[in-house]
Amino acid sequence: MSRSSNLPARNVASRLVGRLQRWQSTAFALVAAGAALAAGGVPVAAIVALLLGIAGVLLDLHRQSRDSRAAAANAAFLDSTDRVGHDVLPVWAAHIASSREQMESAVAALTRRFGGIVERIDQTMRAASQEGDQGLVAAFAHSRQELQTILDSLKEAMASNESMNAEVQSLGRFVAELQQMAAEVADIAQQTNLLAINAAIEAAHAGAEGRGFGVLAQEVRKLSALSGATGQRMAAKVAVIGEAIRAARDAAQASARREAASALASEATINGVLERLRGVTEAIDASATVLKEANAGIQVEIVESLVQLQFQDRVSQRMAHVHHNIGRLPGLLARSRRCFDESGTLAPVDAQDLLDELEGSYAMADERATHAVQGAAAGPAAAPDAALEEVTFF
Amino acid sequence: MAKTIMIVDDSASLRQVVGISLRSAGYDVLEGADGADALKKLTGQKVHLIISDVNMPNMDGISLVKEIKKLPAYKFTPIVMLTTESANAKKTEGQAAGAKAWMLKPFNPPQLLAVVQKLVLP
Repeated sequence: MSRSSNLPARNVASRLVGRLQRWQSTAFALVAAGAALAAGGVPVAAIVALLLGIAGVLLDLHRQSRDSRAAAANAAFLDSTDRVGHDVLPVWAAHIASSREQMESAVAALTRRFGGIVERIDQTMRAASQEGDQGLVAAFAHSRQELQTILDSLKEAMASNESMNAEVQSLGRFVAELQQMAAEVADIAQQTNLLAINAAIEAAHAGAEGRGFGVLAQEVRKLSALSGATGQRMAAKVAVIGEAIRAARDAAQASARREAASALASEATINGVLERLRGVTEAIDASATVLKEANAGIQVEIVESLVQLQFQDRVSQRMAHVHHNIGRLPGLLARSRRCFDESGTLAPVDAQDLLDELEGSYAMADERATHAVQGAAAGPAAAPDAALEEVTFF
Repeated sequence: MAKTIMIVDDSASLRQVVGISLRSAGYDVLEGADGADALKKLTGQKVHLIISDVNMPNMDGISLVKEIKKLPAYKFTPIVMLTTESANAKKTEGQAAGAKAWMLKPFNPPQLLAVVQKLVLP
């Protein structure tokens, strides 16, 4: 408190001392001229002293004018640095802050979009994996199994038909046997008729004695005639049945051939469908593989992009450090101005203090490297490579 | 059930980058904008691992680790410092506070996942 209250008094004193120093040579010349005149000396010496006094006055006036111009220039310079501190630096700082915010929001939006892409790729790959590994392949195997069951049923039906045909053909053999038996019956009837005729002849030779035998022979002939007729009817009926069996056999064989051809055609069609389905499945599977490989490639690219997007965090930190350092400068300029106002002397801004504070705020190795490199007037330090960074476990 | 990991960083984009990496590996992710925000959000949650920046407003990462270690529910929860801070003095400070690992930004997502898988408790 006492120090600040003494300051104006000290300022006034120092200004008075300065003015006295500026008028010192003039005062000495005037005193010398006055002394010469008072001593009654040579008027020339008095004139010279007077001229010197006048020259000193003019010189002092010139010096005073130069000092006041210099003071005005200093004041103008400090006004300009004040303006830089109050008006320019806050605008710079605001631009840096605004740039940081814009970059943060833009990179955040970009990262959100990347996140959406990664999520969609994950969903697509999960869906493709399920379809490829379970859905499509399982559906194909199931369809193939069901179609094979149908083919097996067709083959079983064909085997059953063939068995029936064999049975029908065996019936044909029975018909032949029946025809043979009917022929034998007719033959027996014929032989019996011949025997009856012979018996009748013998009965006629026997006369009255053989009449009864002749009647018997007559009856036997009638029976043999009936037997022969029955045998013929039997042969006719067996022929009809045989014809029916042949027709049935022919129809069954024709049906079996058609069914076999149909089964073969069905099998060929089914195999064709399965082959085409297999082709489609393999094409889809190949597409899924290509899709998976493409997705894996995109994911690698996105991972790399996510590494690169972290530049924003690093740049933002650097800008924050510079922003804070810039924020210190108006205070330093104001302090310098106060010093001039109070003592009339220009106080330099301590650049090293600013640099030290800036260096002390660094967190990143490349920040420190940039600081050191810039100090040595060389090129900028490169940003670090994520893959080369180490992890320290405690 | 998916493990939950909290990422604490004042950079929203950095939180998102970490979130994308962790979610794609099947983890649930909680976000904190700084130490104070993270402490508030930890209450009533079951978090299996915490990843934190060091230099943050309101409460820095080292102070956050110290505060977390005072919470009975999170006393043994592993904490990874993910930061641009490379000074050894800060690393030592982090280790003394109770952090389990120190990882520098920019990070490689597969490398971060390897660290998480190594440290996350079953």
